Amino acid sequence: MMDMQIEISIGKIRKEFPVELARVESVEAAEVLRVKYLGRKAGLVTNLMGELGGLSVEERKKWGPASNDLKRFIENALAEKERALESQSFEKDLARERADVTAPPLPPSPVGHRHPESMVREDLEDLFASMGFLVLDGPEIESDYYNFEAVNIPADHPARDMQDTFYLSAKDGSASGGKGSNRWLMRTHTSSVQVRAMKIHGAPLRAIVPGRVFRNEATDARHEHTFSQLEGVVIDRNITIAHLKGVIETVARHLYGGKTEVRLRPKFYPFVEPGVNGEVSCFLCSGKGCRVCKGAGWLEVFGAGMVHPNVLRAGSVDPKKYQGFAFGFGLTRLVMLKYGIEDVRLLQGGDMRFLSQF
Amino acid sequence: MRLSFQWLKTYVKLPPSVTPEKVAEILKLSTVEVEGAEHQGEALENIVIGRVLKAEKHSNADKLLVCAVDTGKEMLQIVCGGTNVRAGMLVAVAKIGASVRWHGEGEFVEMKLVSLRGVESRGMICASNEVGLADMFPSKNEREIMDVSHLSGVRPGTPLAEALGLDDVIFDIDNKSLTNRPDLWGHYGMAREVAALFRRPLAAYKTSPIRLGKERRLKVDIARAEDCSRYMAVAVEGVTTTPSPSWMQKRLLSAGVRPINTIVDIANYVMLDIGEPMHAFDAVRLSEKNGTIAIEVRRAKNGEAFHALDGRRYDLNGDDIVIVSGGRVLALAGVMGGQEGSVSPSTTSIVFEAANFHPSFVRRTSTRLGLRTESSARFEKSLDPNLCESALRKAVELTLELCPGARVASAIADKKHFRLNQGPIRIPVSEMTRKIGVEIPYKEINRILTDLGFSVKKTGEMLAIGVPTWRAMKDISIPEDIVEEVARIYGYHHIPAQLPVFPIVPPAHRSGRLEQRITDALVRGLGYTEVQTYSFVSPVQVRHLGEKEDAYLELENPLSKDRPFLRRNLVGNLLECLAKNRDFSDELRLLEIGKVYRKEEKGEEMGGKNGGVLPRQDTWITAVCMRRGNDSMLEMAKRALVTALGPPAGEAGAAVCEYRVRVVAKPLPWQHPGKTGEIVVGGQVVGFLSEAHPKVSRAFDISGRVGVLELNMSALASLAAEALVFYKPVSVFPAVSRDIAILADQGVLHANFFDAIAGSDPLIHKVELFDVYQDDTMEAGKRSLAYRLTLQSKDHTLTAEEADAAVRKVLEILKKRFNATPRA
Repeated sequence: MMDMQIEISIGKIRKEFPVELARVESVEAAEVLRVKYLGRKAGLVTNLMGELGGLSVEERKKWGPASNDLKRFIENALAEKERALESQSFEKDLARERADVTAPPLPPSPVGHRHPESMVREDLEDLFASMGFLVLDGPEIESDYYNFEAVNIPADHPARDMQDTFYLSAKDGSASGGKGSNRWLMRTHTSSVQVRAMKIHGAPLRAIVPGRVFRNEATDARHEHTFSQLEGVVIDRNITIAHLKGVIETVARHLYGGKTEVRLRPKFYPFVEPGVNGEVSCFLCSGKGCRVCKGAGWLEVFGAGMVHPNVLRAGSVDPKKYQGFAFGFGLTRLVMLKYGIEDVRLLQGGDMRFLSQF
Repeated sequence: MRLSFQWLKTYVKLPPSVTPEKVAEILKLSTVEVEGAEHQGEALENIVIGRVLKAEKHSNADKLLVCAVDTGKEMLQIVCGGTNVRAGMLVAVAKIGASVRWHGEGEFVEMKLVSLRGVESRGMICASNEVGLADMFPSKNEREIMDVSHLSGVRPGTPLAEALGLDDVIFDIDNKSLTNRPDLWGHYGMAREVAALFRRPLAAYKTSPIRLGKERRLKVDIARAEDCSRYMAVAVEGVTTTPSPSWMQKRLLSAGVRPINTIVDIANYVMLDIGEPMHAFDAVRLSEKNGTIAIEVRRAKNGEAFHALDGRRYDLNGDDIVIVSGGRVLALAGVMGGQEGSVSPSTTSIVFEAANFHPSFVRRTSTRLGLRTESSARFEKSLDPNLCESALRKAVELTLELCPGARVASAIADKKHFRLNQGPIRIPVSEMTRKIGVEIPYKEINRILTDLGFSVKKTGEMLAIGVPTWRAMKDISIPEDIVEEVARIYGYHHIPAQLPVFPIVPPAHRSGRLEQRITDALVRGLGYTEVQTYSFVSPVQVRHLGEKEDAYLELENPLSKDRPFLRRNLVGNLLECLAKNRDFSDELRLLEIGKVYRKEEKGEEMGGKNGGVLPRQDTWITAVCMRRGNDSMLEMAKRALVTALGPPAGEAGAAVCEYRVRVVAKPLPWQHPGKTGEIVVGGQVVGFLSEAHPKVSRAFDISGRVGVLELNMSALASLAAEALVFYKPVSVFPAVSRDIAILADQGVLHANFFDAIAGSDPLIHKVELFDVYQDDTMEAGKRSLAYRLTLQSKDHTLTAEEADAAVRKVLEILKKRFNATPRA
């Protein structure tokens, strides 16, 4: 009797469950169905399996596996149904979800900007560092000694006329009241760091010094009393003019592209002998002549030359053993050329309308 | 300096293939800066000689004339306003298509057919300044046209350039490129360069000895030997001061010097020829006793007046050298002649001076008086004293040639004391290669140096090089100078570029990297914008910051009185920037990297014989922020600090250095007295975290609070080592978190609580402040802080009891140490 009932129950469930499952359209309905059949307390399959306990061993052997099969069948079918429903509902949701990937993050936050000169300076520092140069710094208030005397510009040298110098007031007595080589001034060029570098690091030496320099001249769109230079110095036993040309060419090509040409022309600077001007073919017109190079085809960029033996001696480097070259250029001018900035005063004007363009 | 191509060619023959442009190009590459090569005739195209046949009043304009002008092929009707136009006159006619400069001003414009008050004008009768010939034809007033009637043999229609012989090419040499080359201040010196560069022979500079006269004696006294290394003079009688011949005038004009009269022109001509400035005195105006003319070279007395040839009076002092005769100052040595004693139209006897004055004195005098002349420009470059002799001879030779009645009336006075260092300079041939980097054969070295006037003697490898007098003053004195001569004439453009070979040694110092990292973090992470501002600040700024001017270093010669002080911080300028940009946005975040100058602290050594140190000049990064209507700007500054340096000591994560923030005992006047902290690394203060004092912000015209972060990068760089992070194995046992809120006196700082909690029990893994709260329900002076504690064990799963016990322990400690009570 029992036997029969169980058979009927199994048959009924097998027949009815799929019909009910087909009607399920939500995860919740699937859960109701699961409770109806597999619920721990009153599930149809659970009850059925409970009844197996009252059967004989033989009957249990017969119906045990059959009801287990039934349970697994229902479990699997429900799981499959749930997966299908879940994926359906995802699709429904995702069909509604649309975000604007082009919009900026909200709420808005300030966007920062590097100063254009810093970007150019750091790019050059990276270039020189990659070639094994030290990147050095030096004082901006400098002694007359390091700014002039040590770089072979003695008192009364005409070269001092070329640079109008800011001097510090002597009112501070012993502090800045020094005379002669002790006099304090705003350095007129980064060359003032040459001898300092030699004294500290000795020879051989490879170093650059980017930094601020000062000239006492009236400001206008093209003149500034405060601007930046980058000085370089290379000293070793057999450094030549050809090497000077090679390094300048490397820098010029880094700045203006691989086809840039460099030419050297004689130019007098007291701290070098021979002294040259390093000119680069104009990046805009490639040497044909244009507005940027004022028709010349060449841009004067570098002042350079072989370090004067007096300068080496001032740095305690023996000119009989060592020689080398130094070069310098106006970082500020480079920045202006690069970004097409026509008024130098913008660089230190602190105007967000200018700065926020970089 | 203007250099005539034709004048050059009198000393060095150049084949036709060597164009002026080629000469300019090669000079540029090897010698001097040539700013341009101007073909004289070029600007005068379509300008021809015309003869005015008729000049009648314009029916419709008082000041205009309608002229009929014969220009050879055609007769032109031209309306002209010139006051001196008359029939029969030869004039310069700018035909349609010519370029002229209206009234001598502005750019050149092209002539077009025009109608003036109803009368057609087919060209223009030119004034000299309208065609760039003002020097050659000075006009008395601006309505005067150029009268060329003296060219009577010239047919109308002849191009003006041809009629005037303007067929030269003028090089414009940048004087600044000549500062170190005293030998290049005349045509002969430049010809020497051209000869060496084009490998052409240089004609010798020939002068004949002077036949001496006996009528007069010259007595020269030089008060201070160092002022004047040589003084030569000679008297010449029977000279005329008529205009000099046209060839000489043409030469002078081509070099930009206006002709005056024969004698003055001769002196100028010699200067332009070999670079030695000369002066001619009217002998009658010199003091003469018993046939002896006395000339004295001495320093001016303080306050001594000098009336110069430019018509102005100069007050002299003891640094000026003057030429004196009979107690009267006749010339400012090497700079300018005086009104007294100079050649006048009535002069018949003269004394020529060819001297050599100390370059520094000439330079100082001309700079101080703002009197820069052709003469001073040359003397300040250290001229060769031997030039005096050639110059004097040349001047006398020309005088005798151009003034038929002239004769030398005295012996030559010649006071001299100079020594030239002519070497020899010794340098091995191989040294040239070692310095230049390319091997130049000895033959070429020898050729170059010989062409430039050096003597070369070779013994084995060693060269002994004799320096010519015109390079021996100070221009050439060491082997490197010889290297330059060889390299530049050989041509820098022939030296191949080569990269040096270096051992791979990683460079050690790069403090800038840290500045870059921190700045990038603040710019990209928090939206700060980097500015650069001047090192110089104003008294107003100093006052607004509440500081004292005495503390600031000051410029002796500031460009403007507005900004004489050197900044002691970057804050002042940044506050000015905030104010300047306040209309740009409601929220501003600015930073600067720069040096500040502190005289009370010791900086780098000064070098030189006397030693000493400079004021300290550290590099700081300062960041300021403000947001309209927001008072908690200190929080923003704190965020900047964590972004810049990473988490402070005690908190997990790698930082730039192990830093702490502590309360500042005595804030600066511009810092908020209750909202200022200092950033400390290993006991050393490396920066500040603050809000600007509201009074100060207001003084700078900023509405709202300003947060400030200051980092001393120079100090940080020396403490550079990053804070060491030791990895702690991750516990596999679950962590438990508990929140506590405590009520405590406002004076007890987070740092106190943090350290106490973190050190209370080994189970405390992490301490995090998540809220600070204060309201009216609390006792005055109290505040509440809420912490989240994370507890975890290395070796077992914590029970709730263990966690609670640890929290109780924390609360007990806080109660005991800080009288802090738990808050429900």
